[in-house]
Amino acid sequence: MPNRPAPGEVLLALLFATLGILWIVAAARMPLWAGFVPQSGFMPLWYGIILVALAAAILANLFLRRDPGQKEEPIGKPLVVLAALAASIVGLDLIGFAPSIFLLLLVLFAAVERLPIVRSLIVAAAATAVLFLIFRTWLRVPLPVGPLGI
Amino acid sequence: MELLGHLAQGFVAAATPVNLLMCLLGVVLGQIIGVLPGIGPSAAIALLLPLTYGASPTSAIIMFAGLYYGAQYGGTLTSVLINVPGESTSVMTTLDGYQMALQGRGGVALGIAAIGSFIAGCLGTVGLMLLAPPLAKVALAFGPPEYFALVLLGLMALAAVGGSVLKGLATGVAGLLLGTIGIDPQVGAPRFDFGQLWLLDGVDFIILAVALFGVGEVLASCRMGSANPILNVGRVLPNREEWRQARMAILRGSGIGFLIGILPAAGATIASFVGYIAEKKMAKDPSRFGKGAIEGVAGPESANNAASAGAMVPMFALGVPGSNTTAVMLAALIMFGLRPGPDMFTTNAALVWAVIASMFIGNLILLVMNLPLAGLFARLLQIRYSWIYPPILAICVTGVVSRANNVEDAWLMLGFGVLGWLMKRYDWSAAPMILGLVLGPIFENSLRQSLTLSHGSFAIFVTRPIAAVLLALALIAVTAPLWTRLFRAKPV
Repeated sequence: MPNRPAPGEVLLALLFATLGILWIVAAARMPLWAGFVPQSGFMPLWYGIILVALAAAILANLFLRRDPGQKEEPIGKPLVVLAALAASIVGLDLIGFAPSIFLLLLVLFAAVERLPIVRSLIVAAAATAVLFLIFRTWLRVPLPVGPLGI
Repeated sequence: MELLGHLAQGFVAAATPVNLLMCLLGVVLGQIIGVLPGIGPSAAIALLLPLTYGASPTSAIIMFAGLYYGAQYGGTLTSVLINVPGESTSVMTTLDGYQMALQGRGGVALGIAAIGSFIAGCLGTVGLMLLAPPLAKVALAFGPPEYFALVLLGLMALAAVGGSVLKGLATGVAGLLLGTIGIDPQVGAPRFDFGQLWLLDGVDFIILAVALFGVGEVLASCRMGSANPILNVGRVLPNREEWRQARMAILRGSGIGFLIGILPAAGATIASFVGYIAEKKMAKDPSRFGKGAIEGVAGPESANNAASAGAMVPMFALGVPGSNTTAVMLAALIMFGLRPGPDMFTTNAALVWAVIASMFIGNLILLVMNLPLAGLFARLLQIRYSWIYPPILAICVTGVVSRANNVEDAWLMLGFGVLGWLMKRYDWSAAPMILGLVLGPIFENSLRQSLTLSHGSFAIFVTRPIAAVLLALALIAVTAPLWTRLFRAKPV
């Protein structure tokens, strides 16, 4: 009796299949061949077809295999970390690079990991300062600036 | 004599203060990365790439190479002291290394691993020096069909070494597919930009590498919490009897590791497995293995270090990566505007020889660092992952945004990061995707040029002997697991 595959892996295979279909549809509208030479759509079309075929084979394998496969792990914490990362990217334009990175670190240390608050504040401030000094001051890389000018 | 002349010039270039500093930085970072959980050398190199934008390619590659073989040293510490391999290349070391530590000989296990790694690293570098230039000379005869076949071989071989060939192939093709985003280099027309101006430049490999190896890795590992209890290091130098038992294992491991390392995509992990198995087979009393046999540490540790030098042979000579980390290094070379492959030894000889010379220096630094400082590095194991991953995420965001001061790149990183998380969770190899993205344009151009040469006939790929051999090797690489399964299923 085949086992039930992990929903996350099915989703992943479907994601690859969707990517392949998207490429097939878009590439089919492009010129494929002229004279001796493949044109813009030729390789992307084949990449799309091969990717869909591989994703289908992986899906078939997932549904037909008899070994227990991978166990699903709780996804709560990775999702919280992901949300914090997304919020910090939103913050880059709104409050600037340094405050956004500082808050990301502080939230992860103190709120997500529940590490001691004073140590979290010190490490978050130090890590932000090091990144700022390396990229902005030393390498002179332009970074998003907020109302505080940093 | 010509080789020694090149090597001497390499030492002159590698011994400049900046390059020595980069070598030191690379090996120290590699050692730390090898010890710390949740981040490997591929991720570390991807994260450091933005820092090297303004640096000279030679200095940057010296640092990356140092990080690569330094990580092999660092991975040993966790294997021996907490029975958790820091890198996949140190899995076999846990079997006897941890047992040695339980017997109070953890320091000796680390010491023999450091000495073995040093000897193997130097022998492997000599092998790289002797083998890569003639291989590159042969490969100078390569035309577009051979390049097409070579890229295909690299992708197939890298796909084949992961857990599943199908998944490896799918990620490789997805990488090729992502590589078509932007302007078509042949005709100058935009493709797959979905009306977004910022996609016209294509997907930068740094974004993908940082997302898959950095963000994806963190999301997959952030559930790890506590630090590990570690065993005492104790005496580090082996005594005469221990050295007598280990010396041949070091030499055998060096040979095995180098030979396996040069096979495209075989890499240091397989080398360490074979190194261990070879020692067990050669042993007069195989029952000692798994109970603290010093050869069980010396063999695989020498093999994994020699393999990291071996993996650079196909990278420099053919432009085909020998491991996941060299796949990222290869992408870095392309980022610096260099074309890895046979031309490297003629057009960028100074860089290649400086990197080779720096590998001798780096291995010496690692030996000096590891014997007296093993106890100090062991303390790194007490850092909780909770303190490690938030700064990794901060570096990911900074590195990606600093590339073009573009917040859209950070969103792209986040999206690919989720993909990387799922891929890591379900054991889909990320390296073929990076390689597909990087080599995609060369692959497509080679196909177009080949078909122009042959007036549209695909026969050009099988009528040219080198291209045909490379294609046959690609086919063998991708079907190897199938053959292995068939042979295993056959009753003996």
